[in-house]
Amino acid sequence: MICWRMMRHVKMPRVMIFSMRKQKYVGAIAAVLAVLSVIAASHAEPYRAQHAFAAAQNAAAAASGTARQVTAREGTDREVTFNRDIAPIVFHICANCHRPGEAGPFSLLTYDDVKAHARQIVSVTSRRFMPPWLPDRGDFAFADELRLSDEQIALFRTWYEAGTPQGAAKDLPALPKFTEGWQMGKPDVILRATKPFTLPSGGTDQYWNFVFRAPVAETRWVRAVEIRPGNKRLVHHANLLVDRSDSARHEEAQPGDGFAGMELQIESENFDPDGHFLFWKPGTLPRPEPNSMALRLDAGDDLVLNTHLQPSGKPEQIQPSVGLYFTPQPATEFPVLLQLECDKQLDIPAGEKHFVVSDEFTLPVDVELLAIYPHAHYLGKDLLALARLPSGEEKTLIHIAHWDLNWQAVYRYAQPVKLASGTTIVMRYIYDNSQDNSANPNDPPKRVVAGNRASDEMAHLWLQVLPTNEAGANPAGAAERVGVADPRIKLEEALARHHIENNADDFEAHYNLGAMLQMRGETRDAAAQFAEAQRLRPGDATVENALGGALLAMGQLSAAIEHLSAAVKARPDYFDVHYNLGLALARHEDFSAAVEEFRAAVRLSPKDANAEANLGSALAAAGALAEAKTHLERALTLNPQNTLARENLDQILQDAPH
Amino acid sequence: MSMEYRKIFRCFLVCCAILFGAMLWCLPENAAAPSVVAGSGVAQDPWASAAGKVVVLIFVRTDCPIANRYAPEIMRLSAKHASDAAFWMVYPDKRESSEEIRKHEVVYHLALPVLRDPQRELMKRAQVSVTPEAAVFDAKGRLVYHGRIDNWFEDFGRARPAPTTHELADAIAAAASGHPATLPSVAAVGCYLSDLQ
Ligand code: HEC
Repeated sequence: MICWRMMRHVKMPRVMIFSMRKQKYVGAIAAVLAVLSVIAASHAEPYRAQHAFAAAQNAAAAASGTARQVTAREGTDREVTFNRDIAPIVFHICANCHRPGEAGPFSLLTYDDVKAHARQIVSVTSRRFMPPWLPDRGDFAFADELRLSDEQIALFRTWYEAGTPQGAAKDLPALPKFTEGWQMGKPDVILRATKPFTLPSGGTDQYWNFVFRAPVAETRWVRAVEIRPGNKRLVHHANLLVDRSDSARHEEAQPGDGFAGMELQIESENFDPDGHFLFWKPGTLPRPEPNSMALRLDAGDDLVLNTHLQPSGKPEQIQPSVGLYFTPQPATEFPVLLQLECDKQLDIPAGEKHFVVSDEFTLPVDVELLAIYPHAHYLGKDLLALARLPSGEEKTLIHIAHWDLNWQAVYRYAQPVKLASGTTIVMRYIYDNSQDNSANPNDPPKRVVAGNRASDEMAHLWLQVLPTNEAGANPAGAAERVGVADPRIKLEEALARHHIENNADDFEAHYNLGAMLQMRGETRDAAAQFAEAQRLRPGDATVENALGGALLAMGQLSAAIEHLSAAVKARPDYFDVHYNLGLALARHEDFSAAVEEFRAAVRLSPKDANAEANLGSALAAAGALAEAKTHLERALTLNPQNTLARENLDQILQDAPH
Repeated sequence: MSMEYRKIFRCFLVCCAILFGAMLWCLPENAAAPSVVAGSGVAQDPWASAAGKVVVLIFVRTDCPIANRYAPEIMRLSAKHASDAAFWMVYPDKRESSEEIRKHEVVYHLALPVLRDPQRELMKRAQVSVTPEAAVFDAKGRLVYHGRIDNWFEDFGRARPAPTTHELADAIAAAASGHPATLPSVAAVGCYLSDLQ
């Protein structure tokens, strides 16, 4: 899966306005901090999302009803036949995957198909390996549960033991009508991976990431995504992530190559918490979320598809596609993905059969829990999540007694689960690092700690929640919801503080808390959090930039310049850093150096009016009035409302000798 | 080998030209009597052509996912033991056409001679019950091992990252060095042959 611990990268310094006083250009620079208001404005554009869910088999329920009915009606003595008893189960449940083009390794569409695997079907159903469905029955039902009833499992066995009788032709139900191709009709946009990935015939499972670059030219609201993973037989699951900051592109050797890796970390700019699981597993049908939760996709955003691939015995090519379905309606409801984790506790001795980690997080706001996604690697054995209600009562949110990474999935509740503020989410995962665990990646077992590789471990629990109180009083005024009082910020902040309490070395938690404090205008506290993050990852471009930006906002120019220079060194093609370093140098009155940074910024983002305006202003300050004029004019062409460019241009024109 | 075996392998054929892993076939599909078909136009008996080598039969079917995933390992083992063991792929499912089998061999890069076993004679002789399952016969034609190739799969859906025991390789080594069979049969995980017609 994916480590979606996102860094909320507040592009705060970018919103600083570099302006000149109306006297001489020399050294007349004042940075106006407009951090708060502009940030608030930038996500006044409400976020959110979409779905992507697996689905299938509403018919499963129907079929299970049929089976029970039959048993009740006719008792146990009558003959169990394929046409009457087995076909309804197979057609409605198994055939979703076991038909040409789907994930199952063979078709189960006819009597002969099923008979040719009859005994195997008895084995796989009685062990509950098929249909694939990990969670036990808990306190809340999931949508699209793929669980056979005990009666259905018994029917397969009885039928097999009776010699697989076919039964009367009149009893055979019709095959359901399966939709081939795009399940929701032709998507508004179809993206196809630039290059296929070649999966070798054998060896261990592989994790490959495909980057779909900038699929939309302007902001669009996505109501559904259909992921078509290419060859469904090879792809065990796939996760689609929105990359708003070109993080993933940087991993590709050549554009379109894709890159290896089981877990992904993607930065996101602004406070734009990810609110949606875009998940594919075998048998998944795309499921649109309500329009109120559409996913925002901006120009330049990339989509990254993280896939888990299992060799089949022959060399294979995998070239996934993704279909996007748009809606004109911007989202009005904004779910959040909350991540609990116990990675710090993971230090599992070799041979340990029962290694327990746990975490508890108390919700600071009322929420509706929409979906849940537990994640561990190959040593995970028993994964449990509970809700301890304010009354003290405990409810099972999910329990997977036999974890199997191969069938990991996002589980959506049939009905949103209401959890009041004060409810504690409890996660408790058990790991088996002994030889008895056949999935153990080490033979003989050895000590395992947390990490991103398949041979490392993880203890993550993701919850998709929709905050329901507070600003919810104004459901129509979505723009107001995303201010500082946004319950999402309350949630995220509480969670970041919780993570730091658990682990003082949690880089993302420090970074994210810094970003949220920054957003609230608590620059000094923000800088302290960024400094902690920088201590953990010195030289990391993102954090050096954030720290430099906060220091700049506090007027600590030399320290700011030092960190921003470190960021430029780490990532020379990072627009924000050049921009911010330009600002810092300008405030330091080193205009010629500032000009060079703004030039770099303009090169990287030629359509950014602020960068042009600042370049023009710095040039003017450096005395290059003619060139300054060109850039200020260009800034105004890009954005006629750009006041900095307007003022400085007026100044130049006014001062120009006639 | 003995006349008995020859009787079993009375008709048949497959001409397999192995060319970059691909095979050309001419295989009498529904010959009335034939139980085991193999070779290249001439009735051929794996034991007859074994020239004192160990004979290894690997039972597979085209639609068995676990058998398919073993394809690279089967090829690796047959190459590794080329000097002391003769490997044969056995396709016991009557429903599979020669065209399907040919295609299967090509896409899975299974460059080994093929036998079919519509009368289940090889199956009985090898005492196998699933695919993929291996049977090892020593130089005297005695069955010395049948069962799983290794312990990669513990159960349906439960695979180790890599096997930790190698029953087939061990059995071949023992048989090739003339040691008496010491291995008990170890049940294989896969598609049951009893499900076939
Ligand atoms: C959600 C998709 C899905 C559904 C529904 C499903 N299967 Fe499967 N099935 C698969 C996949 C994928 C595999 C291949 C598993 C692997 O290779 O690990 C498979 C494998 C199998 C196998 C072969 C097991 C092996 O390892 O050789 C059998 C038998 C089987 N399924 C029977 C069934 C039956 C019976 C049903 C209905 C009761 C069913 N399946 C429903 C996806 C599905």
